[in-house]
Amino acid sequence: MSILLEQVTKSYGEQGILENFSLEVNAGELFVLLGSSGSGKSTLLRIIAGLTPLESGRVLLHGNDVTDLAPQKRGIGFVFQNYSLFRHMTVGENISFALDIQHVSRRERAERVTELLELIGMAGLGDRFPSQLSGGQQQRVALARALAHQPQVLLLDEPFGALDAKIRIQLRQNLRMIQQRLKVTTILVTHDQDEAFELADRIGIIERGHLLDIGTPSELYRTPRSRFTASFLGNANLLQGQRRNGKLYVGETELSAAHGPDCHGNQSVDILLRPEEVELAQHPDQLQGQQIGRGIVQDVVFAGAAQRIAIRLLDSDEQLTTLNALLNTSDTAIQGIIPGSQVWVGFKHYHVLPQTPN
Amino acid sequence: MREVKLRSPLQFMLVGIVLLYAGGLIIAPIAAIVQGAFGKGLDGLFAALTEPDVIHAFQVTLFLSIIAALVNLVAGVVLAWVLVRHQFPGKRLLSALVDAPFIISPVIIGYVLIVLFGRQGWINIPGIQIAFALPGMLIATIIVSMPFVTREVMPVLANLGPEQEEGAYTLGANRWLTFWRIVLPEIRWSLLYGLALTFARALGEFGAVVVVGGAIQGYSESATVYVFRALNDRNKIGAYGVSIVLALLSVVLLMGMEQFKRRPKTLDVIQEEVQDVDFIGTSN
Repeated sequence: MSILLEQVTKSYGEQGILENFSLEVNAGELFVLLGSSGSGKSTLLRIIAGLTPLESGRVLLHGNDVTDLAPQKRGIGFVFQNYSLFRHMTVGENISFALDIQHVSRRERAERVTELLELIGMAGLGDRFPSQLSGGQQQRVALARALAHQPQVLLLDEPFGALDAKIRIQLRQNLRMIQQRLKVTTILVTHDQDEAFELADRIGIIERGHLLDIGTPSELYRTPRSRFTASFLGNANLLQGQRRNGKLYVGETELSAAHGPDCHGNQSVDILLRPEEVELAQHPDQLQGQQIGRGIVQDVVFAGAAQRIAIRLLDSDEQLTTLNALLNTSDTAIQGIIPGSQVWVGFKHYHVLPQTPN
Repeated sequence: MREVKLRSPLQFMLVGIVLLYAGGLIIAPIAAIVQGAFGKGLDGLFAALTEPDVIHAFQVTLFLSIIAALVNLVAGVVLAWVLVRHQFPGKRLLSALVDAPFIISPVIIGYVLIVLFGRQGWINIPGIQIAFALPGMLIATIIVSMPFVTREVMPVLANLGPEQEEGAYTLGANRWLTFWRIVLPEIRWSLLYGLALTFARALGEFGAVVVVGGAIQGYSESATVYVFRALNDRNKIGAYGVSIVLALLSVVLLMGMEQFKRRPKTLDVIQEEVQDVDFIGTSN
């Protein structure tokens, strides 16, 4: 394991921030810790860096216990949300700071700065001051500075938080490319699910100091383990279902096992239906998956490549009243779907959430 | 900044009052001092300023001011650092105590020092005379000029935040290197400004040093104490001459301080001009 956290606990005063938090991140992996603000994700990153002391637990980097080691001795690179560039130093001086501390020769420092400036696409800008750079450029300099001393571990705390959407997307691609090239074990902390999906080899969902879910982006999206993950990642129709005699029901509608997992026992379960799995058709025989019933279109929102449609189901009980659907704009089924029109509703696939003691 | 052209009589009156106020309080006394100092021409002034007592008084003042400025430079930064970066019980009390020299009369500070270090004082160090001697005057000067560096540096440190320091730690710099290479360059202008204010305050100190020093002619007499004695002795040229030199030193410091105040703004101006236009270069 490249980064290993064992039972990490931290609180500020009475307020618990992290409670027995354990995590393993593989060597060379880009791991994204995704959580809302106040979930404890930044604190965790600071604990790994040694900037915030922990109360109990252990931090191991590449097999070495660094729990009691100062940040200077952990061999990490850290990119702060506000970049924290040294304002009185040029870009080149910022990048070579760590090498300067290590008494690396002037020639080697200059070579490394040139190499890193090329890597971040800012060749020739080494003599500028941070105040002469745009936000996106400052962010890239912060990344280059954090990589200059070839750290074993790279930690990024909401690195794109202060940038506008277009630049953010460009920089994500840039970061992914650099990380894959250098193969440095990386943890990135963010609240932005698009960022997590685009960058992560694996994602960890953190909420109130607990790791709720962990997996590849696709695993977490398709087969989340908790209601929180299901609704935090993308849009979710969460339905209450009943297991009865090996069959799964939503209200009185039986869900076919052909479109979801097998089920056993008698109990109530949470069922996830992603909006893109919902089908709409003018006639019931046009549905490819399982039919649920008829509905009335309440709202249609144009969102470029897709359209978001809210449907109120007719003839259904309280458990199943409204559904959100996401249909491709090019989909022929979208024809004639306007607010107030009647449609047949079905779905292609569903996921049953594991039972959690709640 | 927008400037308003004078139009109404009320505006004329307002500006007139300001001019009279500034003229009456600053220009008139300076004019009086200059006139008094040159009462016996340039030669008379030169002779007064080269008197052994005057030279000694300036030596005392410069000694006190330089040492007090240096001590408060170091102590002020440490105090500012502790007050901004650390949380501890009694922090607010300490913060209030830093300002105490602003509100306590220097005469009282001098008197307290006599109570502490006088012949029957609480503290006696064998072989070292503190009260009625230079060490007592130095302590008094350090106390009265204490708040300036701390108060100038504190807001800059608070504004800087701990992020740049933490950034330096993660890059391998220890605390001392971080202070020297990262913090000091950031606070340098406020530090110099605070230093200039400290020096100017020490230069003009009278009440505390006259009480604790005892105003012994040719021994514990600073420039301001000399002015006081010269006025009592009706030695107008000596009093005004020394005053002019002190005033000139203050003016030079004042002009220097204005420079310090202007310097840091240049970077902000550049920042505003930079547009957030970004480009991603290829890095193959």
